[in-house]
Amino acid sequence: MNQPRKIKRVRKSVLREAIYSILVWLLAILWFTPIFWMLSTSLKPTTVAVTENPPQWIPNPLTFENYAAVARAAGGINVGRAVWNSLIVAIVATVAGLLVAVPAAYALARLRFPGRGIIFWTYVAVLAFPPVLFLVPNFYIINQLGLMNRFAALILPGLGSTFGVFMLRQYMLGIPRELEEAALIDGCSRIRILINIVVPLIRPALVTLAIMTFLGSWNNFLWPLIVLTSSSKFTLPIALVRFSAGWGDPYRGIGSTMAAAFISVAPVLIIFVAFHRYLMRGISLGSIGK
Amino acid sequence: MARSLSKRIKTGVGAYMFLLPHLFFFVLFVAAPLVYGLIMSFHRWRLVGEPRFIGFDNFIRVWRDSRFWDVVKNTVFFAAISVPLTVALGVILALILNKKMYGKLWPLIAFVSPAFFGSIGILFSWDWILGSQPNALANYYLMKIGLINEPMSWFKSATLAWTWIIIITAWWIVGFSVLLYLGALQRIPPEQYEAAKIDGAGPWKRFIHVTLPWIRNVLFFDIARHVLLAFGLFDQVYILTGGGPAGSTRTMVYYLYLVGFQRQQLGRAAAISWYIFMIVIAFGAIQLALLTQTVRSAEVE
Repeated sequence: MNQPRKIKRVRKSVLREAIYSILVWLLAILWFTPIFWMLSTSLKPTTVAVTENPPQWIPNPLTFENYAAVARAAGGINVGRAVWNSLIVAIVATVAGLLVAVPAAYALARLRFPGRGIIFWTYVAVLAFPPVLFLVPNFYIINQLGLMNRFAALILPGLGSTFGVFMLRQYMLGIPRELEEAALIDGCSRIRILINIVVPLIRPALVTLAIMTFLGSWNNFLWPLIVLTSSSKFTLPIALVRFSAGWGDPYRGIGSTMAAAFISVAPVLIIFVAFHRYLMRGISLGSIGK
Repeated sequence: MARSLSKRIKTGVGAYMFLLPHLFFFVLFVAAPLVYGLIMSFHRWRLVGEPRFIGFDNFIRVWRDSRFWDVVKNTVFFAAISVPLTVALGVILALILNKKMYGKLWPLIAFVSPAFFGSIGILFSWDWILGSQPNALANYYLMKIGLINEPMSWFKSATLAWTWIIIITAWWIVGFSVLLYLGALQRIPPEQYEAAKIDGAGPWKRFIHVTLPWIRNVLFFDIARHVLLAFGLFDQVYILTGGGPAGSTRTMVYYLYLVGFQRQQLGRAAAISWYIFMIVIAFGAIQLALLTQTVRSAEVE
C-alpha cells in the first residue's frame, strides 16, 4: 500500500527535476549566445556572414579561411605574434607573481617581526582603492624606469599587487600549525617548511591565484593600451582592436575578427572547464576568509 | 638575554627576507604611485619637460570643466543601476544553480565563464550582434518576435546605448559573483530551511530570514567589488560607443584616458583620479549603509 505511493512520489520529483534542468539548460544556451555566434561567424566567409538573411547558426559553407587569415600578418598586425606575446607575458607574470606572493604571505601568516601589523593592514587597505588611482603615476614611473613599450612594463607592476598575498595568507591561517612545529623541532629551516609542508597544503589557493593572475594578464586592456607602442609588442586584446580597426568598415573583416576573438576566448574556456572545481573552492574561501 | 635578543633580531631579519621581494614591488608600484599621484596632481606635468608647481590649479580646472561633471553624472548613473542589478542577478543565478538538477556543469559554464573572458573578444561579438543592419542577430530576432518594427541603430541614442552597456556589463561580470554566492549558499546548514518551513515561512520569507543573513558578508564584499568595477568602466565604452553619441556615454576613466594619455596632461589626469577616488568612497559608503539598514531591518522583523 505504502510502496506504490512512494514510487509515484519519487517519479514525480524526478520529472520535476528533469523539467527544471531542461529550463535551466535552455536559459544557459540563450545566455551563451554571444559566444556561439562568435564561433559561428568565425567559420563563415565574411561575405556570407554579412549578407545572409536570415542569419544561419550552422555555417554553410563551413570554412577555416578566417583562422588562416588571422595567422598571416594583415595591415601590420600579426595576431599570431600577439597570441605568443600574450602567452609569454601571462606565464612570466603568473610564475613571478607566485614566487613573490607565497613567501610574503607566509611571513604575514606565521612569522613574527616588527611592523607586521602595519604592513598587513596597509596591504588590505590598498585593496579598496580604485585601480585607476595608480594608472597615471605608474605610467610615469614606468617611463622613468625606461620600461615603456617593453614586456617588463606589463609584468612588474602586477608583482606589487596585494590581492594574492592577502588571499594566500587567509588560506595559510586555516592550516594546522602542528605539522610545521614538529618540523621546526626536527631542525628544518623555515624555507624548507614553506616548500615541503605549506605549499602542498595550500594547492587549491595557489591554483586559483595562478589562474586569476594568468587570466588577468591575458585579458588586460587599458594598461597595455597605454604602455605598448610598437605593433610587434602588442598583446592579443590590443592586436584585436587594431586588427579590427584596420578594416575601416569593421564588418568587412568580421569573419577574421570573430576568429581572433574566439582565439582569445577559447583558452579561457578550456581553463575554466578544467579547473572550475578549484576556482569555486578557492574563490569562495580565499577572497573572504572563512 | 643577549642571546634571545640576537635570536629575535635574526628571526626578524629572516622574516623580512620572505617579505622583501614582494615589499619591493609593493613600494615601487603601489605605495610610491600614491605619493607620486598626489605630487603630480599639484603640478603641470608632462612626459617630457620640467614639471611646474601650480597649486590647486588642476583641481580647480577640472572642477570648472562642465565635461567633467557630465562624466561624473554618467558614471554615477551607471553605477547606481549596474551595481544593484548585477548583485541581484548574481544572487538569482546562484539560487538557480544551487537547486538539484541534471548536468549542472553546462549552466555553470554558461553563466560563470564569461566573467573570465577578456573584454575585447566578447565586446566585438556583442557589437556584431547589435549591428544596425536588418540581418544582424538582435535586429532579426527582435523584429521576429515583434518587439521592434524596424532595424535599430542601438548605439545612436544615449538611452539605448546605456541600456546595452548595462546589460552587456551585467552579462559579462556577473559570473564571478555567482561563484561567490554559490560558495556562500552551500555553507548554509539545511536544518535552517527546515526549521523555517516548519514555522510556515514561504520561499520569500525563507530567503529574507535565512538566506540573506547567511550570505551577508559575501554580499558586502561583492557590492564593494562591483562599486570599484563600475567606476572603472572603460573597455565597454571604448569599444561599443567611443564615448558617443555626443559624449553621452563618456565615463570618468574614459575622460581620464583622454586627458592623460591622448593629450598627455598627466598632472590634470592625476587630479581627476583623486576626484574619482573620493566619489568612489562616498558612493561605496552610501551603498553599504543602505544595505546594512535593509539587512538589519530584515533580521529584526
